[in-house]
Amino acid sequence: MKERTIWEQIADSFRSRSIWMLHYCTGCGAMELPPTMTSRFDMERFGIAPMATPRQADILLITGYLNTKTLRRVIYTYEQMADPKYVIGFGSCTINGGIYFDSYSTINRLDYYIPVDVYIAGCMPRPEAILEAFNYLMEKIRKGEADGWKRYRENYEWYKQNQIRSLGEVYVHDEFHE
Amino acid sequence: MTNSMNDVVKSLEGFNPFIEEIDEREVKVTVSPDRVIAVLETLKANGYSHLSLMTCVDWIDDNQLELVYILFSWKDGGKFIVSTRIDRNNPKFFTVKELWPVARFYERELHEFFGVEFEGNDDMRPLFLELWDEKPPLRKDFDPRDYSRKKFPDRKYEKDVIKEAKIFRGEING
Repeated sequence: MKERTIWEQIADSFRSRSIWMLHYCTGCGAMELPPTMTSRFDMERFGIAPMATPRQADILLITGYLNTKTLRRVIYTYEQMADPKYVIGFGSCTINGGIYFDSYSTINRLDYYIPVDVYIAGCMPRPEAILEAFNYLMEKIRKGEADGWKRYRENYEWYKQNQIRSLGEVYVHDEFHE
Repeated sequence: MTNSMNDVVKSLEGFNPFIEEIDEREVKVTVSPDRVIAVLETLKANGYSHLSLMTCVDWIDDNQLELVYILFSWKDGGKFIVSTRIDRNNPKFFTVKELWPVARFYERELHEFFGVEFEGNDDMRPLFLELWDEKPPLRKDFDPRDYSRKKFPDRKYEKDVIKEAKIFRGEING
């Protein structure tokens, strides 16, 4: 890893204290987010809040399984986000496919297509685990270890090749994209 | 079978159906393919006007596909399951979109997942899958695990015996 300048260290320290999260909720993991966001576990006390659009978000939280159709949209979303951006893979489906390991339409590992900074294991992970993952991610950002977005830029060819291998074509052809 | 359902079953006798009583309010009617549309029309005229579901079952050993229409009556809460079997190698049937416009989408789905062609329904664009390049995925001879292995690579795990032993002894938190 390259040595960070003092300004980058300061910037990372500030970044870790104000995180906007975009949650991609097509999987069942979306169910754990309402208690995490609201008064019971209250993730805003850590400086994390939900954000509506990818262009203004820092974290992409992938909750649960992705199939080929949704993976295309996730790649669109990820590439729209501004640097620096971080990805959290949530639940065992993003790690190794989970119970959908032999499905004809569901991908088996997320970090083959986009770089993932933190994984949360479990089916389902409890809100405590999500908060733990956020704290771990903040720690990683402060140390400068959360460099998924740099890896994506450096190994873009490799990621693109993997995406094309599984998806055939990354472009989305439907009524919203043409 | 309730009395009102009995009357409806009597009106179907001309179609030579095989009647099976599943439940007090659930009757399965099996007919030959050329009579299905007429049976569905009769049931619709008798109050079974709601097409709850249209689906398909793959009987690979008999080399047949079973088409299933589930009709529901809002008058007496009865359910009719109309089923027919068509050839698996050349699965062609007729559309019921004139009877129930919603059948357009069920037929698109069956075309996508079982490869059934519906004459009269021209709109056979894929509904759920994108860029599908194999045989229809819900047929029994399609192997999803094989496809998944070919297309979506698995994560490789390395066995670390020492780490496992440490987790087992409680020295580190696995």
